[in-house]
Amino acid sequence: MPPRLTVILKGLAVPLLLLAALEGYARGPGRDSDALAPPSKALLALGQAAADGSLWGATAFTLGSAAAGLAIGFALALLLGTWLGLSARAGRWSFLTVELLRPVPSVALIPLAMLVFGFGARMEFSVVAFAVFWPLLVLVQAAARQVDPRLLEVAAALQLGPAARFAKIVLPAMLPRLFVALRLAVAIALVVAVTVEIAANPHGMGYAIMLAQQSLDPALMLAWLFWIALVGFAVNALALWLQQRAARRMGAAG
Amino acid sequence: MTVAPGGGEPILRFDGVAIHLGGREILSPTTVDVRRGEFVCIIGPSGCGKTTLLRAAAGFVAPSAGRVLRNGQAVHGPSREAAFVFQDYGRALLPWRSVAGNVGLALEAAGVPAAERAPRIAQVLQTVGLAAHAGKFPLQLSGGMQQRAQIARCLAQQPALLMMDEPFGALDAMTRESLQDEVSRLVRERGLTVLFVTHDLEEAIYLGDRVIALRANPTAAKPSVAAIVDIGIPGPRSQLETKEHPEYLRLRRELYQYLSH
Repeated sequence: MPPRLTVILKGLAVPLLLLAALEGYARGPGRDSDALAPPSKALLALGQAAADGSLWGATAFTLGSAAAGLAIGFALALLLGTWLGLSARAGRWSFLTVELLRPVPSVALIPLAMLVFGFGARMEFSVVAFAVFWPLLVLVQAAARQVDPRLLEVAAALQLGPAARFAKIVLPAMLPRLFVALRLAVAIALVVAVTVEIAANPHGMGYAIMLAQQSLDPALMLAWLFWIALVGFAVNALALWLQQRAARRMGAAG
Repeated sequence: MTVAPGGGEPILRFDGVAIHLGGREILSPTTVDVRRGEFVCIIGPSGCGKTTLLRAAAGFVAPSAGRVLRNGQAVHGPSREAAFVFQDYGRALLPWRSVAGNVGLALEAAGVPAAERAPRIAQVLQTVGLAAHAGKFPLQLSGGMQQRAQIARCLAQQPALLMMDEPFGALDAMTRESLQDEVSRLVRERGLTVLFVTHDLEEAIYLGDRVIALRANPTAAKPSVAAIVDIGIPGPRSQLETKEHPEYLRLRRELYQYLSH
């Protein structure tokens, strides 16, 4: 057996065993439970949700909102963080403001976002954007501070304008660290998007799992739980792959 | 190529330039002219402010007193007309750009149209002997070749003035000598004016038309500029013959005292 396959099979052993135990419990002692359903039934419910299209619609909504919020938060954090990182004066003036706003829990903004935007994608991605903005701002600022001052002198010696200096010198120099930051932000974005849906927004995967719970359908609820975990795993794996690819490219280049 | 004294406006003038760092006077007020086409070397022990003087000439730091004039205009910041070769070539090159890409940066900065860049990059790389390495990345090159790449980028700026901050200080002796000869040739071919900082006395005498010796810890009685010496060794210079020339040996003896203490 190829060693890679062995590793995968060994890794799968424990989850499969747990699933089998749950199946046994749900069909045996927990037969009358309103909270649990056998995994086999959950799988059937997942298949049904996939067949009637509700699975894909909800997934697309959640991923779309998370991606939009991430894009907005990342763009703002990139511009502001670069500025605060490169200008010592801007860093000093903004320090306290950032430290005061950063600990505000993003989900505490849900009521405000609802008042401003109502239900829908806009309130969701605005909360996501707020949630990812602060950690990204701190990471981008650190990345900008670590750009070699010699490279900035080269830019100055060549009289590069602010836009060219950013695009040709600062951004490529920060790129490996930006990908690390992006990977962290992806995880936050997905968690916050689902949380907003569970708490308030009647759309997406978070709302679907809430609905299944409220209609006392544990099989469907477990199906959504399993699916959300799977989507989270896939999104994080994608982000990790992107980061490693970027690191390798930069490694080959420098 | 020593231009006769009084031949036109100086390309660079230090007009009472003084530099203070942390409340201490590193460089006492210094007035020196650099004439067009001249190769001026600045030597001195570490901490004498020679690199700071060069950085003031480039516009990276503002002098604490006095002013730097380039072509009669006060210097307020760096200019593409004055190229700067850093000692640490490894940090001055963009690691994510190939050699050609690094040279191209100077052309992009100058707004050269994309179509004209490739032939000009090729031509500059040819002059510094890197034509075969255009596609390589800085980390794939030896130190000497990285410094050639940085010099190529500076030449691509088409500067009138070349400022070099101990450019060969980190290189081995063989590479250093061949680069000295090449820079000397390039500079004379292109009629460049050079301000060259080094702690290597022999390098200064070998390359320079004039050598400015600075001393550390200047006082009122002993200002920063210890001596300005014309190098009158007849050219063309060569590593073997120039360094055995009686005038070379005499200058080395004369200037040595400024470095020893």
